[in-house]
Amino acid sequence: MNTTDTSLIRNFSIVAHIDHGKSTISDRILELTHTVEQRDLYKQMLDSMDIEQERGITIKSNAVRVMYDADDGNRYQFNLIDTPGHVDFTYEVSRSLAACEGAVLVVDATQGVEAQTVSNALLAMNANLEIVPAINKIDLPSAEPERVREEIEEVLAIPADDAVCVSGKTGEGIHDLLESICYLVPPPEGDAKAPLKALILDSYFDAYRGVVAMIRVFDGSVSAGDRLVMMAEDQPFLAEEVGVKRPLEQPLNMLAMGEVGYLVTGLKDPALVRTGDTITGETRRCAEPCPGYHEAKPMVFTGIFPIDNKYYENLRDALEKLKVNDPSLTWTPETSVALGFGFRVGFLGLLHMEVVKERLEREFDMDLIATSPSVDYHVYLTDGTMIEVTSPQDLPVPEKIERIEEPYLKATVIVPPDYVGAVMQLLVDHRGTSTDMVYLSEKSVEMHFDIPLAELILDFFDQLKSRTKGYASLDYEFSGYAPSDLVKLDILLAGEEVDALSFIVHRDKAYQMGRGLCDKLKEIIPRQQFEVPIQGAIGNKIISRSTVKAHRKDVLAKCYGGDISRKRKLLEKQKEGKKRMKSIGRVDVPQEAFLAVLKVDDE
Amino acid sequence: MSQIASFGAKATAPGVSVHSGSTLRVPINKPSVKALYIHVPFCAKKCAYCDFLSWPTSASDPCLDSYVEATVRELHALHDRGLLEGCRTAYIGGGTPTLLGGSRLGMLAGCVRGVAPSLTEFTCEANPDSLTDDVLTAMVASDVSRISVGVQSLNDAELMELGRVHTAEQAKERVAAAVSAGLDVSVDLMCAIPRQSDVSWAASLRGVIDLGVCHISVYPLTIEEGTPLYRRFEHDTCEWNDEDVQARRMEMAEQVLTACGFVRYEVASYARLGKRCEHNIAYWTGVPYLGVGKGAASMLGPAEYDLAQQVLEWLPSRRPGASRMRFTAYDGDVEFLTSREAWAEDLMLGMRMTDGIETRLLDGEPSVRAELICRGLVEERGNRLVPTHEGWLLGNELYGALWALAEP
Repeated sequence: MNTTDTSLIRNFSIVAHIDHGKSTISDRILELTHTVEQRDLYKQMLDSMDIEQERGITIKSNAVRVMYDADDGNRYQFNLIDTPGHVDFTYEVSRSLAACEGAVLVVDATQGVEAQTVSNALLAMNANLEIVPAINKIDLPSAEPERVREEIEEVLAIPADDAVCVSGKTGEGIHDLLESICYLVPPPEGDAKAPLKALILDSYFDAYRGVVAMIRVFDGSVSAGDRLVMMAEDQPFLAEEVGVKRPLEQPLNMLAMGEVGYLVTGLKDPALVRTGDTITGETRRCAEPCPGYHEAKPMVFTGIFPIDNKYYENLRDALEKLKVNDPSLTWTPETSVALGFGFRVGFLGLLHMEVVKERLEREFDMDLIATSPSVDYHVYLTDGTMIEVTSPQDLPVPEKIERIEEPYLKATVIVPPDYVGAVMQLLVDHRGTSTDMVYLSEKSVEMHFDIPLAELILDFFDQLKSRTKGYASLDYEFSGYAPSDLVKLDILLAGEEVDALSFIVHRDKAYQMGRGLCDKLKEIIPRQQFEVPIQGAIGNKIISRSTVKAHRKDVLAKCYGGDISRKRKLLEKQKEGKKRMKSIGRVDVPQEAFLAVLKVDDE
Repeated sequence: MSQIASFGAKATAPGVSVHSGSTLRVPINKPSVKALYIHVPFCAKKCAYCDFLSWPTSASDPCLDSYVEATVRELHALHDRGLLEGCRTAYIGGGTPTLLGGSRLGMLAGCVRGVAPSLTEFTCEANPDSLTDDVLTAMVASDVSRISVGVQSLNDAELMELGRVHTAEQAKERVAAAVSAGLDVSVDLMCAIPRQSDVSWAASLRGVIDLGVCHISVYPLTIEEGTPLYRRFEHDTCEWNDEDVQARRMEMAEQVLTACGFVRYEVASYARLGKRCEHNIAYWTGVPYLGVGKGAASMLGPAEYDLAQQVLEWLPSRRPGASRMRFTAYDGDVEFLTSREAWAEDLMLGMRMTDGIETRLLDGEPSVRAELICRGLVEERGNRLVPTHEGWLLGNELYGALWALAEP
């Protein structure tokens, strides 16, 4: 690939609310620029992380270079930077956007502006990006491009006269979109002669070559063999290889000012290569690192235990392997009387937690129990010290606690006006307080509120979706700590306290949650040979109770002409089911019981 | 008294079996099955709950002729190899064997008599709607000794829910006719079915006793995936099939039938003195049996398997070390069980019988024996370990623990 004149480089990202068609548009661009052919596209999709594919979300950032022969006769270098599409990864998104000069804002012509459209547009504007609005799915009969155009102007204050109407599905309008990118997105600016200054957008681990960083070069240039340094920790290393993804890796002699590509660091420890950090020369250093770097801090914590404790070491190995490509993952050992040895694992958010748990089960074939998610509580003790508590079982006895503070979020919901009442009720149920409300248009209202993170990580999002028939969209950011009247709710099975089922809850909701949880556990725990009482307790006080009836009949009476195999298979299926349960005392408890708190219906 | 063949004896001397209820010994050097099952996979109509192999068709379907002819040919071939020499029981099951009609059924039953000369029990399954006088005459003529009628219920509303093609009246009349014909009559009854109440259940039980039957099988309905019944009640709570209801109805059956002189000898089977179904007992006591026909299951020891292979050419060669083979022609899969697996299977199946297993069979697994006793699933009676009332109703717990012993 020949070096491109800097004036012909366009670095941009595609941002959108989930399901508005970001990936299909990316695919069409790759196709139209002949970067990949249709059949390879499918193959490539199969090869990437299957959880991303299944859930239609992007977890890792990525950058692909495509060459576009524009109508003006020039051959442009496009660096298409794919960003994670979920609020758990806002920091990662902001780092990716920092590498761009422009952003294509995709809005679904049938849905209009939604919460993440707004938050992504704001992130892009804060990063001083040129925004190219694109109205997608215009092939659908219910498309309303004119209404959506107005909404973009009204809600986002982005001139949308020139918004390109496209269909990721049919490919219509993609050519116009590419032309707009050439004209609207400015070329990168920087000093090609200055010392190297490159931003790390993301990194991944390659078993043979160590950590590979995706970088954007702001000043200077980088070539294989250069002696470099990571600025945050002053970590020296050697650039073993540089290149670009198209989408397969293609090594180059050099990444020049303004370009985006990969850099093989040769470092074996992923923790040394941090998203947002700046790379510069070991001897010729840049004056200032790229702004905005900070360490990702876990927000949600959960206990993860192997059902069979002999797999404890395997779980540790699996976590370590995942961390290689997901440095934000943190954990400490945790011991539970009920579940044995496991880990308290910290995540960026709920989605991050689900993805990690799924990958552990799927890629490492582990049978795991996850306990109900918790947040990082700041517990101020009577002796004047503060401890951070991320697991209910670490909460000191009430006599020793002066006060507990919990993390709060500033959250935004965008919803049609008809559902404002339903959302308000949901907020009240989840200890949220409304701060203000703005009518964005006749069809959408933006509600702002403060809410404890602990409430949001329960079933808030699912309930929001169901109570608004799927119309509401949610966005949030951490706002700080505030004191709350919190208590620890314990659960007893057959009279024995099960520490792994305890959780921290607001005193006002304790009775309701205790009752709901006992009822839910009754549904989840199968009948045993004897009756199992389930009790909820605060301290020594029992506040709720339910009972799993004793098993009465479990035998296959019918004999199909001596078909014994059929009976045996049934027994084997039952045995498999039991294996996935945890024996606590004499009670067999299914995995999902430990997450029952997420399923407690408030209604 | 049924007796389970011990693991050691089975492994070293295939073909030897002490047949329950008799003292006949089959010579060691002549491998032969002890029980023969013939599957007739046709029905007038598929019942709403049925997921067993059968094709709905009419009595005039020429398929029935060719099926019978093929079965007769296979029986002769098996006979020619000597495989049926020591056969003690035969069972023509379905499907609905009576759909064949008198002449075809007579031909099939006559052939069975011919190829298996030493039968002490010969059962044919029947449905009330096709159990015509013709069919009864044919059965008697070919020495069928026992008939098992699918009555299921004596309540028309319940029969309708099950998708049965006969009425209660028809069932009563035909069962009575079978009794008059001098056959030992068994009936199947189903509990925990839609629209059934404790009262109607008791009425069905008493009704069949009054008809003079000597054997009754009692099954709680299982809603099997893929059946019309499953689809109909997929989103229903099905309280009528709830395990508490199933348990209560099974207990009711035991009370009512015991009071009327029947004795429960297996999970689902009740008999008057001397009228137990020896063929079904074979399934639970490790006795080799051969199934002929599409959906028929077989269990053979190595010697019988090698013989059967000469006729059933699709059978794969025996896996070295396998002491027991299970297969059906329908799925074409053969399960090879090690001697340890066969032993564990015998324990598990033996526990379906009310007289359980010999206590000493678990001498090598004292902790399992102690655990089962401690859990109240079994108790010691004389030199036998027998299921308790709880072990009867929670049989899967018991069988599962015993089958788990298959893994060394």
